[in-house]
Amino acid sequence: MMNVDDSQFLSTMSGGFRPQAHWRSCSGRGVSVAVIDSGIDRDHPDLKGRLAESVEARVEGKRVVFEPSKSGDSAGHGTACAGIIAKVAPDARLNSIKVLGAAGLGDGNVFLAGLEYAIKQRYKVINLSLGTTKPQFFSPLHDLLDRAYQAGCIVVAAANNLPQPSFPSVFSSSLISVIKSSDPDPMNFGFTFGEVIELTAPGVNVRAPWPGGGHRSLTGNSFACPHIAGIIALLLEKDPNLTPFHIKSALYAIASENRRGS
Amino acid sequence: MPGTGPLDLNIKLKRLIETVDAANILTEPLTASIRSLLTLSASEIDCDEASVLVRDGDDGDLRFLIAIGRVADQLLNIRVPGGKGIAGFVLSSGQPMAIADAGEDESFYAEVDKKTGYSTQTILATPLRHGGEVIGVLEYINRRGDPPFASYTPEEMDRAAGFADAIASLVNAYQSAKLFRDLGERMLSSEDPDAASIREWLHDVRTSSEHKEMMDLALLIRELTSRGEAERILAREIFEAVIRFSDSGDNTSYLA
Repeated sequence: MMNVDDSQFLSTMSGGFRPQAHWRSCSGRGVSVAVIDSGIDRDHPDLKGRLAESVEARVEGKRVVFEPSKSGDSAGHGTACAGIIAKVAPDARLNSIKVLGAAGLGDGNVFLAGLEYAIKQRYKVINLSLGTTKPQFFSPLHDLLDRAYQAGCIVVAAANNLPQPSFPSVFSSSLISVIKSSDPDPMNFGFTFGEVIELTAPGVNVRAPWPGGGHRSLTGNSFACPHIAGIIALLLEKDPNLTPFHIKSALYAIASENRRGS
Repeated sequence: MPGTGPLDLNIKLKRLIETVDAANILTEPLTASIRSLLTLSASEIDCDEASVLVRDGDDGDLRFLIAIGRVADQLLNIRVPGGKGIAGFVLSSGQPMAIADAGEDESFYAEVDKKTGYSTQTILATPLRHGGEVIGVLEYINRRGDPPFASYTPEEMDRAAGFADAIASLVNAYQSAKLFRDLGERMLSSEDPDAASIREWLHDVRTSSEHKEMMDLALLIRELTSRGEAERILAREIFEAVIRFSDSGDNTSYLA
């Protein structure tokens, strides 16, 4: 059983428990964050020395293996997400799991294998800006998300606000789903009740690092997601044994407070 | 074999080739419709350069199906490898995204710009979804007027997603028609000596007056698709009336 010091982290004020303010001064030290994406440019000045592990998927027959990455970031997206996490939680240990561009088995299977790898490695926070709408992946993804929950891995996924549901962002019970907002302050994140409960975080014209040393202004839910991954790293620094349940409650409490304060 | 085999095989093969040829005729208006919708959608979000990229194979590669704008013709020869660039990411992730300052330094778009001589600065990319699959990517590049170009807004991303739904349906219809067309072309170009007699037979079918009449009819239908709604409704009613009349079994006196 995990030993969680609720008294340190949460108070029992009316309106439910609330995280104490000290998390805002944390830097994510000691917290491992996985970025399942297009790879990370480890030489970018914003990310130098922050990457603990970098692997990429290779398809061998019908299975996917992960080996040390040599190809860097093929699309730019993974570097941008890593940069956003590093901006919010500068001392978090970043781990790149590259699943894009691995030819042979189709996107969904490689993406699933990447998630499974991250859970096996017990990365505390898993940033997923990818998703799938293919119904055949619904059940295996659901199983994987349950495994992540039981292993204490906190999965943060970019929500899909297009008409068709995208997995896993609709599995709201076992992960944290995020959509973009135009508020540029990552600490001032919020929440929204829709078909699933989603957190809102900066996702409009976000300035983020890009492979090759530069930066880009980016818009999309997938850039809101790493802001929340970074916030979770801050929350976990003082109390690494917080469960996904605690984290969700804490995020809700902070978002409610942000709403009251705005 | 077609010439000596049972009658129903002949009929089946004849129907196949008729379908293939009709599909051939149909792909063209579908690409024209996709182009029209793409042009309309680009205009709606204040842009002149746009493209529809479609999945090509199982490895996440993309090719340009339709492009509008100054370098449209050059884009049609470019292939986007799996997972590369914004389009590659959008195809794999299913997530729409917008990016400003896209062509700087070593990005994929800098490579494309080098080939086309164009300067990509701001991009809006939206997945094309059909039946649970991401079948391609809808991309808008830059803005009307002179740079610097304003980045795309969340509201424009929502509007683009609406157009993407309609374009995805057309792309899916196009791909189905193309599948038939390619199948027929493969059959006709097969080097298998056993296929020689089939090819000869298919050639006979295609050049027969009956088949030509059918293709003329298909061309008329295609022509109708470019006319107004009233004409289409009228034509449909006439076709249905002819079929009802034919089904009634009382057409001998009419035909006589």
